[in-house]
Amino acid sequence: MENVIELRDLTKTYGTRRGLTGLTLDVVQGEVFGFLGPNGAGKSTTIRLLLDLIRPTAGRATVLGLDPRGDGVQLRRRVGYLAGDFVCDGRQNVRAYLRFLAELRGGVPQTRIDALADRLGLDQSTKIKKLSKGNRQKVGLVQAFMHTPELLILDEPSSGLDPLVQQAFLDMVTEAAAGGQTVFMSSHIMSEVEAVADRVGIIRDGSLVALDTVANLRTGAICDVEITFEASVPVSAFEGLPGVGRLHLDEAGTRLTGQISGPPDAFIKALAHFSVTGLRATEPALDEVFHAYYDGAEAAPRTDSTTLA
Amino acid sequence: MSAAAILTKTLSDSRRGLIGWSVGTALVGMVYASTYPSQRENVDSIPEALRQSLNVDGTAAGYLQASVFGIIVPLLAMIYGVTMGARAIAGDEESGQLDLLLAHPITRTQLVLQRFGALVAGALGISALVWLAVLAVRGSAELTSVSPLQFLAQCFNLALLAITFGALAVGVGAAVGRRAVALVVVAIVGVLSYTASTFATQIGADWIAHLSPFHYYIGGEPLRNGFQWGDAAVLVIASAIFVAAGLARFNRRDINS
Repeated sequence: MENVIELRDLTKTYGTRRGLTGLTLDVVQGEVFGFLGPNGAGKSTTIRLLLDLIRPTAGRATVLGLDPRGDGVQLRRRVGYLAGDFVCDGRQNVRAYLRFLAELRGGVPQTRIDALADRLGLDQSTKIKKLSKGNRQKVGLVQAFMHTPELLILDEPSSGLDPLVQQAFLDMVTEAAAGGQTVFMSSHIMSEVEAVADRVGIIRDGSLVALDTVANLRTGAICDVEITFEASVPVSAFEGLPGVGRLHLDEAGTRLTGQISGPPDAFIKALAHFSVTGLRATEPALDEVFHAYYDGAEAAPRTDSTTLA
Repeated sequence: MSAAAILTKTLSDSRRGLIGWSVGTALVGMVYASTYPSQRENVDSIPEALRQSLNVDGTAAGYLQASVFGIIVPLLAMIYGVTMGARAIAGDEESGQLDLLLAHPITRTQLVLQRFGALVAGALGISALVWLAVLAVRGSAELTSVSPLQFLAQCFNLALLAITFGALAVGVGAAVGRRAVALVVVAIVGVLSYTASTFATQIGADWIAHLSPFHYYIGGEPLRNGFQWGDAAVLVIASAIFVAAGLARFNRRDINS
């Protein structure tokens, strides 16, 4: 399958601060790729590099087989972009504003714009200036989707949207992918990515720390367990077993909770020495997978680097 | 992209300000010009040295050069050029709107040129209105010694002056991406060039005046001599250099987020 986005050792430094450190990543045609990471991890930096808003310090990015710098106009014609902090301004109403943006792309059928606006519940007669945060985000979504681009690059797309509209947006993403469009969306909200993404990349401090399908990320990760015993058990019987962590035994000594990563074999065999009355293992939400990658970080994501986002 | 979507949008977004500013500038010009009959006698009381530096004499052209077209109207026209120029790139960059525009299939060069084009159109509009306003009082204010064509020549230079300083603001703004920096740089350059053109003769360094846009704006005395194509060419070339230099940097740098 054809790679729509190819990043090779992509590096971006801002003065002495590091934005991206050698990011290598492929996004294939027709997939929905979730790009996860906390604020300041380098998500927006990556996205702005793809659109030639900023230039890499080192490395290379190819989008739709084109060079962002050299073939920028041709590239951006085929891409729909929603910025992380989408802003628009002007005295006109939403309809006129969207028509202006459509004009920059050589025109988009009005029926297409109307259909998207209706779907998101966006009133096109409102003045741009008077829009609420959520409605402004809808304008951003409409302008990104309206020309049915081959590639959608969405930075924190559902910020400010209420749950109903968020669902409409997720449906739009799913439909776009079904129609062969590729979607690259960044987020720090796991649930929205989990719902639509085929693959997920997790970025931390400017480099990729995990890259897999949503299903694999879950199985390779931690699972929560809760075991109840007929009689009190010593916690020492389970401590130190491979892959077992966060063990907690209640005061009565009959209810054990913890997390298991990897094969649970050793844990199961240790359990077999006692009389077990109940066992519950829950598959983690992608949320927890995500946090697991960050809890292990030697340095927590720097809070002062949010401007890099 | 349709040929001038950004240019049209820029003009349309700023139309209220532009109309207000043009009418205001034209009114100020008209009011000042109509005081000529009462001010004519006062000229004799101005000290000789000052009269020389301000280029004042009792004629209509001399009076207009010192007052209407000497200070107030060019200042107002320049403020328009500088405000629009600083807003063109740096203003939108600071508000975050540049990301959206530049994510469309347009080049940075196209964006700068269309924004500058809107500024040029606005400056020409203001000057045209000023021309019509002074023509309206030309008879009643006893300014008939200056022909309409000579007025047009001065108003044309007025537009070029606004465009030159506007171009500097566009250039600095595009190069650094900060509106305040553009405004401060242009304000300093403006004050220095006004001072240079006014006092160069007195400090015995005529050549300094030739560095000042004001010299090419009014030094050739269009109100007496009509169109000064050489001077106009200097202002046009200077504008082109300012925009091109800013653009060269703009095309290479990162857009601030």
